[in-house]
Amino acid sequence: MNKENNILKWFNGEISVNDIKKMHSDTDFETLERIGFYSKQIDVPKIDAQKALEEFKVKKLPKKEVKVKALNFKTWQKVAAVLLVMITSSYFLFFNNNKSFQTQIAQTKTFNLPDNSEVILNAQSKLTYNKKDWKKNRSLTLDGEAFFKVSKGEKFTVNTDLGMVQVLGTQFNVKERAYYFEVQCYEGKVSVTYNAETVVLTQGKSFRVINGTIEAVDFNSENPSWLFKESSFDRVPLRQVMDELERQYDIVIETENVDLTQVFSGSFTHDDKNIALQSVTIPLKLSYRIEGKKVLLYSYEAN
Amino acid sequence: MKTSKHKLCDESFFNSFYLENIQSITNFAFYKCRDKAASLDYVQDAFAKIWENCSKIDFTKAKTYLFTTVNNMFLNVVRHQKVVMAYAKHQPYIDRDNQDPEYLLQEEEFKQRLQNAISGLSDVEREVFLLNRIDGKKYREIAEMLDISQKTVEKRMTGALKFLRKKMDNLKI
Repeated sequence: MNKENNILKWFNGEISVNDIKKMHSDTDFETLERIGFYSKQIDVPKIDAQKALEEFKVKKLPKKEVKVKALNFKTWQKVAAVLLVMITSSYFLFFNNNKSFQTQIAQTKTFNLPDNSEVILNAQSKLTYNKKDWKKNRSLTLDGEAFFKVSKGEKFTVNTDLGMVQVLGTQFNVKERAYYFEVQCYEGKVSVTYNAETVVLTQGKSFRVINGTIEAVDFNSENPSWLFKESSFDRVPLRQVMDELERQYDIVIETENVDLTQVFSGSFTHDDKNIALQSVTIPLKLSYRIEGKKVLLYSYEAN
Repeated sequence: MKTSKHKLCDESFFNSFYLENIQSITNFAFYKCRDKAASLDYVQDAFAKIWENCSKIDFTKAKTYLFTTVNNMFLNVVRHQKVVMAYAKHQPYIDRDNQDPEYLLQEEEFKQRLQNAISGLSDVEREVFLLNRIDGKKYREIAEMLDISQKTVEKRMTGALKFLRKKMDNLKI
């Protein structure tokens, strides 16, 4: 074994021929020596390395490069955008329980809330509430005018930009228009909060804010007139009356030498434009001219 | 790490790697197929493979990859072309000063028989034996190139020497 290892070492160049002969003097290494010597003389193809390389290069080999993709910011943006869309859409699908009702010009809508309270929405108004929270919190947001018949139960709140109305169970009308906020109580008690001031209304009382001026007006109708396709006004500036006309008839009213702050008491129908315009203009000694969608109001006294 | 990995794709690095190894790898291919012309072709193919996959190969392992590639080629291709190896011409005899014609003849005969004996070695023994003898590679280097253990190389070498010695001693008489 030892001899074999030494022979291997000899062939590996670790021991010289003479050393191994001394170590194992009993063995004849002549044949091995000759094998080792002559086997080195075997002819191998002499390669002209440079020439071979040139030949190799002639082939023009394709190189499969692994492309290092930098984390592309644009890719992230795309991913983020997709995620955003998914998250927002899923939010609206699964988490947004806001329900809203909306009416256009000259349109009213009647519907029930989850607790069977009835709401009648006047023209160009919007009402939004949270379906999920409704049982715990009867609260809704109104932009425009609506009549409520609230069924008995927990506190019922109507939020508007101008003020807040709270009731327990009653009938009332809320009108919230530009520079105009009016709450009319038709039954029970209604609490109105306006500018941190709270007023409790009883049946037949109304609370009105026109251009920042608070007024308390009594009335004796049992239902708001607009439910019967009529708009009634009690000392309301012409400006708001015109707005109401525009909402009910899809017209644009322009004026000429007309005082918009003068008050109007009366009503107009929602069924006939001419009659409605007449019922507003005649008491105020005005005239009107219809030009398509445009209506011009002017004072005939001035002309 | 990143730079070293793709070093092989760098043309100048690849060229020097090529020039460094072309002779020994061709020798290796020659020990395998014993055909001078074919061995270079195999080697060129192997280099082509390395160039194509340069980005995937760790350059420290490139040499092993080169030998393994050539080795694998012979697993698939032509197992044995019985083209016999030859000695290079005008080589000295072991006893340089002995010009005795009988000695010369005797050595020529020995060489001839050795050549046949080497052809009779198993493939794995022959390649290890010739890598050691002709290329002067240490066992450790051979092990590295062929991706085998040094023990295996030594075992093959011992086997080759035993076989050759037996053959040559038998014929001695």
